[in-house]
Amino acid sequence: MWATNLKIVGVVVGTLAVYTLIANKIPQVQSEVPQSLTLGANVTPEQLVAAGEKVYNGIGGCTTCHGLGTRAPNLVTDEKGAGAIGARCGKREPGKSCKQYLFESLDQPTAYVVQGYQPIMPVMTRQLSPQQIWAVIAFLESQGGAVDVTSADIPAETPGGIAPGVSPGSGSSSPGPPGLAGGSTDPTAIIQAAGCLACHKLDGQGQVIAPDLTHVGGRRSPESIRRKILDPAASITKGYENMAGIMPKTFGSMMNAAQLEALVQYLAGHK
Amino acid sequence: MPAGALLLVQAAADTTRAYGEFPVIGARAAVWIAAEVHLMFAAFVLGVPMFAVVTEAIGIFGKDERYDRLSKEFTRLLLVAYSATAIWGAMLVFLLATLYPRFWAYLTAVFGASMWVYASLFFVESFTLYLYYYGWDRWKKGRAKLWHWTLGILLNVWGTIVMFIANAWLTYMMSPPRDITPATDPSTIKLWHAIANATWMPINVHRLIANVVFGGAIVGAYASYRFLAAKTEAERAHYDWMGYVGNFIAISALIVLPFAGYWLGREVYQYDQSMGITMMGGFMSWLWVIQAFLIAVLFLAGNYYLWVGMGRIPGAERFRPYTKWLLIVLVVGAIVWGTPHTMIADSKELAAMGGSHHPFLGALGVMSAKNTAVNLMILTTFLSFLMYRRANKRPVVPWAGTGTVIQGAMFAIAAGIVLFYGIRGYFVEAIVRIGFSVYQVLAVLACILFVTVIDILMARGAQSLGAIQWGKMPPRSQYALFILAVTFTWLMGLMGFARSGIRQYWHVWQVVQDTSKYAATPALGYASRMISLCVLIFLGLVAFVFWLGGLAEKSTFVAPGERPGGAAGAGRTQHVGH
Repeated sequence: MWATNLKIVGVVVGTLAVYTLIANKIPQVQSEVPQSLTLGANVTPEQLVAAGEKVYNGIGGCTTCHGLGTRAPNLVTDEKGAGAIGARCGKREPGKSCKQYLFESLDQPTAYVVQGYQPIMPVMTRQLSPQQIWAVIAFLESQGGAVDVTSADIPAETPGGIAPGVSPGSGSSSPGPPGLAGGSTDPTAIIQAAGCLACHKLDGQGQVIAPDLTHVGGRRSPESIRRKILDPAASITKGYENMAGIMPKTFGSMMNAAQLEALVQYLAGHK
Repeated sequence: MPAGALLLVQAAADTTRAYGEFPVIGARAAVWIAAEVHLMFAAFVLGVPMFAVVTEAIGIFGKDERYDRLSKEFTRLLLVAYSATAIWGAMLVFLLATLYPRFWAYLTAVFGASMWVYASLFFVESFTLYLYYYGWDRWKKGRAKLWHWTLGILLNVWGTIVMFIANAWLTYMMSPPRDITPATDPSTIKLWHAIANATWMPINVHRLIANVVFGGAIVGAYASYRFLAAKTEAERAHYDWMGYVGNFIAISALIVLPFAGYWLGREVYQYDQSMGITMMGGFMSWLWVIQAFLIAVLFLAGNYYLWVGMGRIPGAERFRPYTKWLLIVLVVGAIVWGTPHTMIADSKELAAMGGSHHPFLGALGVMSAKNTAVNLMILTTFLSFLMYRRANKRPVVPWAGTGTVIQGAMFAIAAGIVLFYGIRGYFVEAIVRIGFSVYQVLAVLACILFVTVIDILMARGAQSLGAIQWGKMPPRSQYALFILAVTFTWLMGLMGFARSGIRQYWHVWQVVQDTSKYAATPALGYASRMISLCVLIFLGLVAFVFWLGGLAEKSTFVAPGERPGGAAGAGRTQHVGH
């Protein structure tokens, strides 16, 4: 019986050894605690880029999606022949500089979703400090482009991060008008800025990933529309259960009260 | 947990110190070991009663005493395991209270009332178990037997509630309701609000099923140990049969488990997208490759056990030529499933690759290929089981030929649907592709359901080609059961690490931050060493429990002429019992 016992112990220990060995042979990645980033007034572009690379590859979690091809556009390698992000960021939206575009992408990621991708990116200005955000922008600019982020772009750190609507590139840290689309109460401008049409269809425009909003006023009351915008998970339209969780929960905090009301009334009017 | 322990724990939590230290291995490792081993014992003592009560029911309503004895033997294993569960649970609480006192104070402020209920229910559960086991021979007949069976059901009810309560604490740490912030006074949080958090019910369901799998695997290992140690043919036959039942239960429940896992994953994503991404594509992405490897081992070992088992069934030789094809499907499926998709990589690695995926293997790493692979593996395992089931039967119903053709067609259609949607998935948007997995799963489940129904109807009055020769199994088959048990246990540790690790440097996600020197979440290599250590401790203690179980066995019940193979069995065998 001792021989049998030894064989059993051998099988058990051998199996454990194989699993442990394999797990130790693969790349080892430890999830570190984020370190606060302090950038002085005379920070150089090189320092910003170096700090940004650390955030990009570490606490920012950017590589989780970017660079994998299917979830989000490549940023540090070529994206469909357009080059790395630094080479293309200034051409993505007319009238917007590279750093304005990059800031918008981090602050309002659903405002401009690259065709072929889903609006899954979290609002990074809620997860990273202003210093980290601007360091990442500098790093991204350095990927095929020129770095023009300076210490003047970086506002003093506040507990809530940068307020939505801060206009980058002005060299000032003073916040702009609060809310999407510069605080405009024009519902079409809000819809455009919030990127609603990346998923919804409205008046013949947009995608069909999420429910068509052309007649949303006929099936939802203003109260229901308001609740849906503020808490998308509160009710899921029949037939779209698989899409539950995709709509960002952050629109409530991205709009001011007047904007929200304007949007609700506009949609409620679509009978 | 005894009431005194809670008082002591609360007293410790009242200290102002945030963290303590544990000699040599450190605070995190100490809590890790205590939590993991406690959880493994808890899974065992929750899983085994589930099928103890089912096998007892089969014994009562099928009037087959073999199942009753099997059920009692399962239950006997629980007695010592219960004590071990309680000891490790108490150790975990003491370690938490002394090493993480401030965090423990927070948890008790939120969940204090539920902790008292938990402790009370543990008493009720323990005494129900004692009544259930020690009353077995007293309440053996008639109405008393039904009352006894009811005790078994109650045992499961108490155990499930206890688990649900403990799950509330750990799921709150993962997914606290969104209105709770670091500034929220924990004493103002409503208990039910904290309990009914986003991941509570998915974890409850997932653990319920996983406990059955785990219990089946450990019972299978116990049976295989007793098989290898058996001194008589009768003993060997009994434990061969017991091992088969344990394995059957484990593999059957395993097939359902991924669906509960998908639900949990979906809830994690829905609760916090960044948490979901960290889990599936962030620093934990390699973990899923290891998981795929482990599940491949489970499929291969489970099928291997069935194929070797066919050697003891007269008539099974006609199916033997097919097993090599089944093996090929399983191996290819496992390779595809283990192909990495979204790996965390730094910018230099991505630049060196020139893109995100390997130019050829990358195509196999996407979900279309993986879902197809795993569904075909499930179908293959079911086919193995079907061959095993039909091995010594020759159907005599007039429509037997047609039935077999229909069964074959169902397999072909299911495999066709799985392949069709797998290939089509490459040509559609991701959002559409996600929906395809539902069709694939439904096709496989429908095939399993309808083919089983046809098989049961076709087996009516079937001619026997000979009895299953229980006990006529080569020893290597029993080692497969050991590998299954070790793998299930290791997998449990790995998935526990994934669930807990996605909180990263938070005790309670985005509410209570871990500011200890152990706040960083370790890499998989370190985690694997901790998991292996926990598995060794657990299996060592389980071996001790098994040995004690053997000591407690006072007599060997011999029932000449009984048929351990049920309707299919016709051999003369004997059983060990009480």
